[in-house]
Amino acid sequence: MITIEKVSKSFPGVKALDDVSFAIQYGEVHGLVGENGAGKSTLIKILSGVYPQYEGKILFDGSVHHFYSPHEAQTGGIATIFQELTVIRDLSVAENIFLGREPTRSLGLLDWNVMREKSREVLQFLDTSLDPKETVGNLSVANQQIVEICKALVLNSRIIIMDEPTSSLTEHEVDQLFITIRRLKEKGITILYVSHKIEEIFKICDSITVFRDGNHIGTVEKEKTSTDEVISMMVGRSMNMMFPPRTTRQGGLLLSVRDLSRNGEFEHVSFDLREGEIIGFAGLIGAGRTELARALFGATALDEGEIELYGNPIDHFAHPNRALSRGVAYLSEDRKGEGLMLELSIRENMSLPILKRISPYFFVKGNRERELVQSYVSKFKIRMTSVDQIVESLSGGNQQKVIISKLLLTESKVFIFDEPTRGIDVGAKYEIYKIMNDLTLEGKGIIFISSELPEVLGISDRIFCMREGKLVQEFTRDEAEPEKVMKVLAAGENLVGGDAA
Amino acid sequence: MRIIRSGRLKIIFILIGVNIFIMAVLTYLSPTFMTYANITAVMTRMSELGMLAIAETIVLISGGFDISIGAVMALSGAVLGTLHVMGVPFYLSIIIALGAGIAVGFLNAVLVVNLRLTPFIVTLATMSIVRSVVYALLKGNVLTDLPEGFLNLYYMHVLKLPLLFVILAATAVIMAIMLKKTILGRRIYAIGGNEKTAFVSGVYVKRIRYLVYCLSGFICALAGLLFTARIRAVIPDAGLNAPLEVITAVLIGGTTIYGGKGSILGSLLGILAMYLLLNGFSLLGLNPFWEVIILGVILIVVIGQEGIIRSFKASFTRRPV
Amino acid sequence: MNDLAGKGTIITGFRNVFKVREAPILIYVVIMIAVFSFTIDRFFSMKNFEIISRQITTIGIVSVGMTLVILSGGFDLSVGAILSFAINIGGLGIVFGWPIWMVYTFMLVLGIILGWINGFLITRLAVPALIITLGTMNIYRGITMVITKGVYITPIPSVYSFIGSGYVPFLFYAAVLGIFTFVTLKTRFGRNIFAIGGAEESALYSGVPVRRYKTLVYIISGFLSALSGLILVGKSGFVQPQAGLGYELNAIAAVVIGGTSIFGGSGTIAGTFLGSVMLGIILAGLTMLAVNPYWQGLITGVLIVFAITLDSLRYLKR
Repeated sequence: MITIEKVSKSFPGVKALDDVSFAIQYGEVHGLVGENGAGKSTLIKILSGVYPQYEGKILFDGSVHHFYSPHEAQTGGIATIFQELTVIRDLSVAENIFLGREPTRSLGLLDWNVMREKSREVLQFLDTSLDPKETVGNLSVANQQIVEICKALVLNSRIIIMDEPTSSLTEHEVDQLFITIRRLKEKGITILYVSHKIEEIFKICDSITVFRDGNHIGTVEKEKTSTDEVISMMVGRSMNMMFPPRTTRQGGLLLSVRDLSRNGEFEHVSFDLREGEIIGFAGLIGAGRTELARALFGATALDEGEIELYGNPIDHFAHPNRALSRGVAYLSEDRKGEGLMLELSIRENMSLPILKRISPYFFVKGNRERELVQSYVSKFKIRMTSVDQIVESLSGGNQQKVIISKLLLTESKVFIFDEPTRGIDVGAKYEIYKIMNDLTLEGKGIIFISSELPEVLGISDRIFCMREGKLVQEFTRDEAEPEKVMKVLAAGENLVGGDAA
Repeated sequence: MRIIRSGRLKIIFILIGVNIFIMAVLTYLSPTFMTYANITAVMTRMSELGMLAIAETIVLISGGFDISIGAVMALSGAVLGTLHVMGVPFYLSIIIALGAGIAVGFLNAVLVVNLRLTPFIVTLATMSIVRSVVYALLKGNVLTDLPEGFLNLYYMHVLKLPLLFVILAATAVIMAIMLKKTILGRRIYAIGGNEKTAFVSGVYVKRIRYLVYCLSGFICALAGLLFTARIRAVIPDAGLNAPLEVITAVLIGGTTIYGGKGSILGSLLGILAMYLLLNGFSLLGLNPFWEVIILGVILIVVIGQEGIIRSFKASFTRRPV
Repeated sequence: MNDLAGKGTIITGFRNVFKVREAPILIYVVIMIAVFSFTIDRFFSMKNFEIISRQITTIGIVSVGMTLVILSGGFDLSVGAILSFAINIGGLGIVFGWPIWMVYTFMLVLGIILGWINGFLITRLAVPALIITLGTMNIYRGITMVITKGVYITPIPSVYSFIGSGYVPFLFYAAVLGIFTFVTLKTRFGRNIFAIGGAEESALYSGVPVRRYKTLVYIISGFLSALSGLILVGKSGFVQPQAGLGYELNAIAAVVIGGTSIFGGSGTIAGTFLGSVMLGIILAGLTMLAVNPYWQGLITGVLIVFAITLDSLRYLKR
């Protein structure tokens, strides 16, 4: 068996894994579940050799193995199929299967006979009719996955880790995948199946390990547990996260949307936002919440839908500038990629959206800018040496404060916060909740998107559940309980009693 | 007036130091260096490369890249000369020449912004297109038929400084102020710093890129006019070496290839350093071909350093998604 | 999604050599030849084709090297400079009276060394290949100018003309095309180049010796540039320091027109061959139509833009 012993891994500002220990039996299909940020992908990366630095031990039948590179992990018998497939599109199936280990004849000539033979063997074992000569780029995602599995087999892997393997598959393809997994199991290969789709876990896994907030919560055999129990382990009864006290008060209608749709991403989403309200959007990856936010904000185009802002019907926002000028602000979930200009200063980052507002003509009013920036620095206690400091050098929490300050400076009325506390320590999270509260006291409205269920439940007045692009359920604060909500999101059930959107 | 950001200060000081050092060495080695005649000659010769550097700096800061700068410089001269020979009134020729530069800039912008092609290849292609237009216009000849008034610009002085240099200085000051003190300038830095962030913060990225490339085209065309005035002729090979010289100088001056950082002052100091070296070579009778070699080496060394530092940083600040 | 069973099988025996992408180019070439034949006297003549072909060979060989480089995700602006360096510095051997085989070896070795320098710098410094080769291009040319002082090497013994006479250049070109088509389709090195260009990290994780192969690619490019120089000297009968000017642009054009993606990871040698042919025909045809030779740069530039636009659209669809 494979033993994970007291494994920990930290990043600046965040402890991704905290003393995690459990065991995986050889030859079983072992499920690993947890919400976003629970530590699943960190563990995967440690096992695959992508993160060579960590504390703790990994043992195979009692002997310690430490992989310092993906190559070592593969040689050691661990193959990983990541969510973003790593196939080379322009090469053939056989070439992908043998990448980096191609059998050769003299002169470095590829030994196609051997490659074709072995590929056929493996492909046949998985019962697919793929042609070894086919160009991988032309294959469906499901077939590309098969190619990766073949690659793992050819490497004589003993363990195959699958990271969210079904995120891009159709139902039929998922069934096929499960058949394949069973076949692998017959061959004696251990599978670590990482997913947050409880249904699937229960269909295919023999035992299940639950992570939460970087901790190992429990490992149970499937036969001896139930969906409810697993879900409750995932979300945790004890709210070890604290939330500032909140009184729900609702004012007039700020934003009202009907039937928002964007092809391939979300459809027929309708909701209202009132002054002083925080509405939370819960959902799993791929549910379409970020896509919805971005289209609403004008970063991408809406295909259909009506929007009423402050009581007046308006056109879809064609550009973020339009949204900002009407008092709608968006905090992106991609902090580094879209939230900051890393090599510019705190001051320049914060003032970007409001430059026009503080300067009547062409010239930036340096003094006014400094004033405003300084006021928020003090207000949020951003730790820095000067406002001219480059934001890259700030910690994650402080960086997030800069971004939030930037938004608050716009004095918008509607705020869309997309994963505002991702990757931030508990203390900083609390401060952000307080900020959100204060905003609502001023009569602003907040659309809050988060994949951390406790958060969504702890701070929102109303909670919307999105699944696969549709808004499937609405809960009020009192109605929402963690297991109930998770069931709607993960187990594919719609509860009766609770407003269906 | 705070023109320089704190991190930039170091590089500026180093460059000033380097320049002073070179000047000191040259003064020591050659009696003719520190003369009014020589210094003003250096100033005038720097003018057009300095203008190109200004253009390239702005483009690089915005996160773009323009290797067609030399060709556009030649184009404006060629257009000017050809139109004049055809009998077009001179003032009109100047305007059309400048317009040609803007047109090339516009073309670059369309290809980069709307078709989303890599700026390097695009401007490489437009460079060859423009260059061939230049050759076609001039049919390989050198034109010297230009109006007296224009040719005299070379001799004109403002407060004892060569007029051409003053034009460069004025452009530099205007552009520097634009970059550091105006809203537009801020947005240009923002786009270069992180295009997506800028977009989400309400900046009209496309429009500004168009502006930047057209502005670059305009300034390069202006440079072409200065060049023509300086050598008092229109030559088809103008600016052939410009991309290397200008890009090296601009990169030394603190502007990065990736965008978001840079200053006009730094770039001009870089050009100055290069010109002093060149001047030194000719004064001391060294083979001018050494220039390209040294420039190539400097380019690789300077960017190599930055590249290493960047990848260093990247491997240390990895955060979980 | 590409429909493999269709256009790609036009030339059944060469299914590996030609992918769907190249078929349209072949058609364009045929059309162009037809059009030019009708509008220009004597276009469709052996003599003319001979002239055109000869023009294509020197750039063609360099383009093969450039194809490999671009496939691996890199760039080489210094090909012309390497050519010039190799023949000028190597040409000193002619001046010293060395035997021909020694001179040729020297030139080729110089090409290999310069290519190796490129590869070394690109793989060690985390700097775009573009910038590095911009720098080395100038360094190599500069050194060439300094050492030669702009002086031509002429006259040279007639034995050097052999390599440039008659059909010999074609033989070399054909050999180079054949060898590298083979390499890119059948050897582990060649196939791994696609992996490096397409998804470098994946390749690295799978154990592909990325650094080594990348360096090798630049060495090959340098070698082929030098080889091309040998043929150029054979054809022209002298060695000049300005040799190879503009070769980079034409090589990139041929590669890109031939369907190789500038992002790397996809393309064929055969495609580059067609691209070189197309470029050669267009340029020759225009000359015959008495179009000013100065327009060559423009045509090349426009073709590059078209080609990369198509490439970009294809890339974005993924």
